Amino acid sequence: MTELLEVDGITAGYGDGPAILVGTTLSVQPGKVHCIIGPNGAGKSTLLKAIVGMLKVRQGDVRFNGESIVGLRPDQVLRKGICLVPQERALFPKMTVRENLRMGGYSLADKSDLERRIDRIEEQFPILKERRDQHAGTMSGGQQQTLAMARTMILKPQIVMLDEPSLGLAPKIVAEVFEIMRAMAADGITILLVEQNALMGLKHADWGVVLDLGRTLFEGPAKEVLADPRIQELYLGGKRAA
Amino acid sequence: MTTLETGDILKARKTYNDGLASSIEKRRATWFPIGLMVVLMALPALQFVGNYNYVIHLVLYTACYVVMASGWNILGGFTGYISLGHNVFFAIGGYFAGMIFARYGVSTIILAPIAGLVAAMAGYAIGLITLRVRGPSFIISSLALVMIFRIFFENWEFVGGAAGVSLKANSLSVVWAKLPYYYAFVIMAAFAVWVSYKIKHSKFGLGLRAISKDEIKAESAGIDTRTYKVLAFAISAFFVGMAGAVWGEYLTYIRPNIFLVILISVNMVLMCILGGKGTIAGPVVGAILIVAFNELFVATLGASEINILATGLIMMISLMFFPLGIVGSLAQHNKLPRILNWD
Amino acid sequence: MADILQILILGLALGGVYALMGSGLSLVFGVMRIVNLAHPSLIMVGAYVAYWAFKLYGVDPMISLPIATVILGAIGVLLYKLIFEREARSAKYSEMTVLLTFALAMVVEGALGTAFTNTQRVTSPGYATDAFFIADIFIPKGQLYAGIVSLTLITFLALFMKYSRFGNAIRATTQNREAAELLGVNVNLVGLVSFAIGIALAGAAGALVSFILSFFPAKHWEWIAILMSLVVLGGMGSILGTVLAAYILSVVAAFVGFYFGATWSTLTFFVALFVVLLVRPQGLFGEKPELA
Repeated sequence: MTELLEVDGITAGYGDGPAILVGTTLSVQPGKVHCIIGPNGAGKSTLLKAIVGMLKVRQGDVRFNGESIVGLRPDQVLRKGICLVPQERALFPKMTVRENLRMGGYSLADKSDLERRIDRIEEQFPILKERRDQHAGTMSGGQQQTLAMARTMILKPQIVMLDEPSLGLAPKIVAEVFEIMRAMAADGITILLVEQNALMGLKHADWGVVLDLGRTLFEGPAKEVLADPRIQELYLGGKRAA
Repeated sequence: MTTLETGDILKARKTYNDGLASSIEKRRATWFPIGLMVVLMALPALQFVGNYNYVIHLVLYTACYVVMASGWNILGGFTGYISLGHNVFFAIGGYFAGMIFARYGVSTIILAPIAGLVAAMAGYAIGLITLRVRGPSFIISSLALVMIFRIFFENWEFVGGAAGVSLKANSLSVVWAKLPYYYAFVIMAAFAVWVSYKIKHSKFGLGLRAISKDEIKAESAGIDTRTYKVLAFAISAFFVGMAGAVWGEYLTYIRPNIFLVILISVNMVLMCILGGKGTIAGPVVGAILIVAFNELFVATLGASEINILATGLIMMISLMFFPLGIVGSLAQHNKLPRILNWD
Repeated sequence: MADILQILILGLALGGVYALMGSGLSLVFGVMRIVNLAHPSLIMVGAYVAYWAFKLYGVDPMISLPIATVILGAIGVLLYKLIFEREARSAKYSEMTVLLTFALAMVVEGALGTAFTNTQRVTSPGYATDAFFIADIFIPKGQLYAGIVSLTLITFLALFMKYSRFGNAIRATTQNREAAELLGVNVNLVGLVSFAIGIALAGAAGALVSFILSFFPAKHWEWIAILMSLVVLGGMGSILGTVLAAYILSVVAAFVGFYFGATWSTLTFFVALFVVLLVRPQGLFGEKPELA
């Protein structure tokens, strides 16, 4: 079975700086929600940025549907079908909600469909329709995250990568955000999620990956990762009752 | 899942983190600056054997800039706030001491520290306002500051407006006339360098460095960034003001277009950039080089627009290819000669 | 009353020119986070282009305006490619880049001075010294034309930014560079075009300036402080803010100049800057408070 996305032993870092990822490997299966956890500085965000082409992959390969995508620019990776929602929302604060959605379709070759896609997104997320002329920067954190995630769907991507979607959000809002994520997964989109909040992340995922010291240390079904006592001690704050 | 022991991981993590930390080599040659001082103090003896007034003037001029550039360095190099209008304090010091000298005959050399304090107080007050913003906004406010001061001084009758005030020259013979100022500046320069060194190796200096790297993180680490910055501003103003005080008397007149021309503030900045912003030897190296370049250009090309063109080009090249300056770039590649390692 | 109207119109006309100068500056800052202190010196280049076109070939400054715009736009592309492209990537050196533009300003001034000497120049097409008389109000034609042309150009810029695909790409890059890149915007191209547009606008402004003020190579120093104050006042990165600040302050400065003398009118801009720093450091429409 060909994985949808395969990261094969990549080394990457920022600019000329030291390598943050050292031989990282990852397999992404279609239709599943994958959650990557690990401590600060482990390289989780770096991994997503390397996949999408924002950072140079110094060694190793990244294959999407069997085809290598190393060296492609972010907009090229985007057209292939991989989307990244960066940390701290990804919006244009002084543009309206609708303008933000329209920017989501910037890379579409055929714009005739764009308005219809936007309309469909607005149907699916009524809050966005309600606030379509509001400046994105004035919305609440949860609404902004909703917009950021909904915007990815304009391009009908195969993979959506989310970098710490729960950052800065109240627990109740976080739950809503993860609901949206599961809805996207139900729609057939494969999700690759990076989460500082390991508990929440793994709870809502199908597959868990632990990234530390720039490498993939463990992976497995999310429930098993969550329950593993070693993981609990290292990343979940100590031993706890299962 | 791969099998792994938690202990192994924690150990591996520590080794990894340690690998990222860098170690600083300390190789200092204290004898060099001290030796340099001795030579400079003895230099005027040359007057016994011939007319070296020009040399004395050059050294004096360089020393004046060393004082100013070192002072600027405290704000610009250590703290990371680039001020393009520091000649404002040059003017404050110059006018304060100059006016008192003109009216009461008190030598500016004696007044210099007080003038420095006056400039420092002004710096403190101004810093309280302008340090509320960072980066480009701050730089712009420093430019606006020069323009404001220029307009005020040019229209202030008490200090003679645009024509300024002329000051009495001292009554020493031509051979020795420059000497009081010479020694004043050389000693001030030594003082400025010494204070820079002391600051850099103090908790205060460490705080400033933290601010220059990432102010938000410094703030959250508990550093009172506001007080630190304003203090740095005031201290840097002190030195520039002191230099200004004596410079006016040396020139025998005080006028807005001596102190408040853009070239002076550019020179201060350029010396630190060329020499090495944030280092101790940097401003000194920069001052020597810029004064040398200036003399060269004026001698060959004349004091005209070509001079400005050339200065601009030097600055551009430094910034594009040696942003850390000479001392900084050499240090980065571990090629800094010991005599220049004053840090 | 006629006096007040007259001062108002004069202030607005000058304000328009400042707004034009400032909008190019603000555009470049928004996209590349570079405060281009060389912007005013490039305006001088535009002024000289218009001047020599008039002096040597009798070309009216209004006609040489598009020529100056194109020439400066090309210079902008060159400067970007040679100097700023690499700087745009290393954000941490942003203060160094400002100094770089400062050095560039000196280079431009030095070049202009060496080539054209320090003589004060002014282009004098007929309308520069002519005026309209409406009722009791005396409106110098030159300033009126300059004001109208500036306003037109600014309006075009605004429409371009709001409604064209590339204009939206520029706005997006200004507001969130990373997100724009991730949505497929070629941020490097956006940087290049924005810079070129910004400098082109400087060229246009220069052509206008050539007949409303007398100029010489070192005149850009006067404008650096004013323009920069406008950019801070309007809020770093907000073209609208800069434009508004330009108009408002120019009118205020015109009144100050009328009642207290010309020297004090320039002071208006700087005093306003300091007041803003005290009271609202992020300016009118600043994105986030750069508070310390």
